[in-house]
Amino acid sequence: MASHGVPRVSGTATSDKSVAAKEKEQRQIAEYKGLEKDVIDRIKGKDFSNDTFQATSRLLQQNPEYHTIWNHRRILLQDVFRRELASGNSAVITTQADEAHNGDVQAASKAGLTLAQQEISLLLSEDLAFLIPLLKQYPKCYWIWNHRAWLLAKATELLPVRTASQMWRGELALVSKMLVLDSRNFHAWSYRRSTVEQIELLEGKSLAEDEFAYTTKMVNTNLSNFSAWHNRGQLLPRLLHERQATDEERKTTFDAELELITRALYTDPYDQSLWFYHQYLTSTLVISSSSDANGDARRTNILAAPISHVTSIAYLEQEIASIEDMLDGAEDCKYIYQALLEYSQRLQELADGSTDIVEPSKMASWLDEVRKLDPLREGRWLDLAVSLKL
Amino acid sequence: MSLAAGPGRGRKAESKDLELVVDKHVAYVQALDTRRGELEYHLTEHLRISGIYWGLVALHLLGQPDALPRDGLIEYVLSCWCENGGFGAAPGHDAHILYTTSAVQILAMTDGFAELEAKNANRKRKIADFVAGLQQTDGTFAGDEWGERDTRFMACAFITLSLLGYMPAQRPNDNPVVNVDAAVSHIRACQNFDGAFGLTPGAESHSGQVFACLAALSIAGALDSTLPTSAKDRLGAWLSERQQPSGGLNGRPEKLVDVCYSWWVMSSMSMIGRLHWIDREKLVRFVLECQDPDEGGIADRPGDMVDVFHLCFGVAGLSLVRYEGLVEVDAAYCMPKHILDGVLGR
Repeated sequence: MASHGVPRVSGTATSDKSVAAKEKEQRQIAEYKGLEKDVIDRIKGKDFSNDTFQATSRLLQQNPEYHTIWNHRRILLQDVFRRELASGNSAVITTQADEAHNGDVQAASKAGLTLAQQEISLLLSEDLAFLIPLLKQYPKCYWIWNHRAWLLAKATELLPVRTASQMWRGELALVSKMLVLDSRNFHAWSYRRSTVEQIELLEGKSLAEDEFAYTTKMVNTNLSNFSAWHNRGQLLPRLLHERQATDEERKTTFDAELELITRALYTDPYDQSLWFYHQYLTSTLVISSSSDANGDARRTNILAAPISHVTSIAYLEQEIASIEDMLDGAEDCKYIYQALLEYSQRLQELADGSTDIVEPSKMASWLDEVRKLDPLREGRWLDLAVSLKL
Repeated sequence: MSLAAGPGRGRKAESKDLELVVDKHVAYVQALDTRRGELEYHLTEHLRISGIYWGLVALHLLGQPDALPRDGLIEYVLSCWCENGGFGAAPGHDAHILYTTSAVQILAMTDGFAELEAKNANRKRKIADFVAGLQQTDGTFAGDEWGERDTRFMACAFITLSLLGYMPAQRPNDNPVVNVDAAVSHIRACQNFDGAFGLTPGAESHSGQVFACLAALSIAGALDSTLPTSAKDRLGAWLSERQQPSGGLNGRPEKLVDVCYSWWVMSSMSMIGRLHWIDREKLVRFVLECQDPDEGGIADRPGDMVDVFHLCFGVAGLSLVRYEGLVEVDAAYCMPKHILDGVLGR
């Protein structure tokens, strides 16, 4: 119903279709409704068999958005888990297994699993594999991502730490693949953060360094990836905290980060993503009344806190000078003027009403340029003129 | 007829005199339920009740609230009720907060709460309990018993509870059914340096989530206390940068424009009083270019397939910027304002 990016190839009227196409569609509908009825009747009749499970697979392959069927699938899986755990296969078997199960037992024993856990692990792995082609076909389907998250939560709940963490590691590899296919998929980025969190919990160690390196790789592949820049910004303060970085090391990192984004901006000053990351870095310099009134608690600094006014002013002056240089050859880039105005405004606030650090005539000329280049947001620029008293 | 349906047909050749094809859109919504001969009709059953909500909002805003039969709508909604107190998207489907919200919104628009209570007493209370039962200790709401959580569900919860009259502020003498303060703190934790909000704390800003968070804050009466003027300026700046030269809006930096963001972005700008920070005329033109001028419906972008979801949010966006002849929409609820004034007694 909500079609995104689907080209309109014909009218909505079915009358446009040929008789043969209509007949084919009727057959497909009958088949689909038949399969749906079969699954629902089986669930109603508490038929929690493998056949029912396979029927849900077929239905979900046709329609992965059908969330009730995912719920049914979880009910079926839970039932198997319950039966496995109740079956008495709860001891970690080391030796003397019966012949028929020898292979399973050896595998389970090797992994330190009970036979029940071995079965559960197998089921979970199979279901995760079942989802992969669906995910590739429907990368923005919430229900598929949810079902994966549920399966992995079951792994954490029911399996030994080592096995569960292996599964989560596999998941991280899959998310990386998904992000190669679409580097901005916000489901995938969000899922990546929670996957990392789970691995960290299970393994009792931080993945911040690895994840930071991952964002470096991602922005090097494509500078215009705000999702990667965003994640990088989230990781940076934590990384420094974990490194127990000295004040000097923090400064070195901050400077390197500023240099990285400034170089990127010189390459493409027309890219919003880059400016937002630049804004993020400078926003950590000052916690002024204009940053935000409520996020302070979770804001951890990159530079050693508290940052002195002198330091903040020096950085802002340095950035304003550097951004002014960017104008050379990019005089038609509105983001440059916007950044100059924003950082100058912040500088003025820091200077706290003392003499004008940035000449008002300069600010007025930047504002004129923005208004000329960006008529779409005229209302915003008029408001800004008032607040800057220009 | 040279404009007969065919491959690649998009906007009108002469797009200077674009106008909203009201009658075509009304007919488009009315015809939606007659398309049972299409496989797509059956494959989208899991969205049916939200589809009805989208269609009904469009009809109301287009000034044709009675274009779908009231009794049929109420009967259908009531047939989607589940024993646990929530609503599924269609009869026999499991309850979920998304569909519960759509169902309650439809009942509010059709003045159907009396019929709901007539089915059996206290049903409003049961729905409120279903929603309240989904709240977690950290203030977030799950979508259903299976536990998926994100900021969208907070907006759903507060929209639903307020329409039913169960927000704590509406019942100062009763025990509160939900913890509003915990939800508000969680929303605050989802705010990023750019002033916008993400799906969870630490997640990238996204206009859909901005709408959800602002709608929830607004219904909770915590919008101004959460966002002082400077924060509104920052968020407004981020939101206004969503408008692209085509006039359309995108959901995040460097993404494609899409009609549904006419709603998510503009309703957010409206809630923080910054709607004048984008170009109204260009936006209107973009939405009109996404119409199917012959058979009605609106697409995500010019030339793409139309659907009722984009019709709803396209028309709602136009209403927000006071397009002539449209009924006024409420920014937090995406429903006609006059109906909310009645239901909420404001």
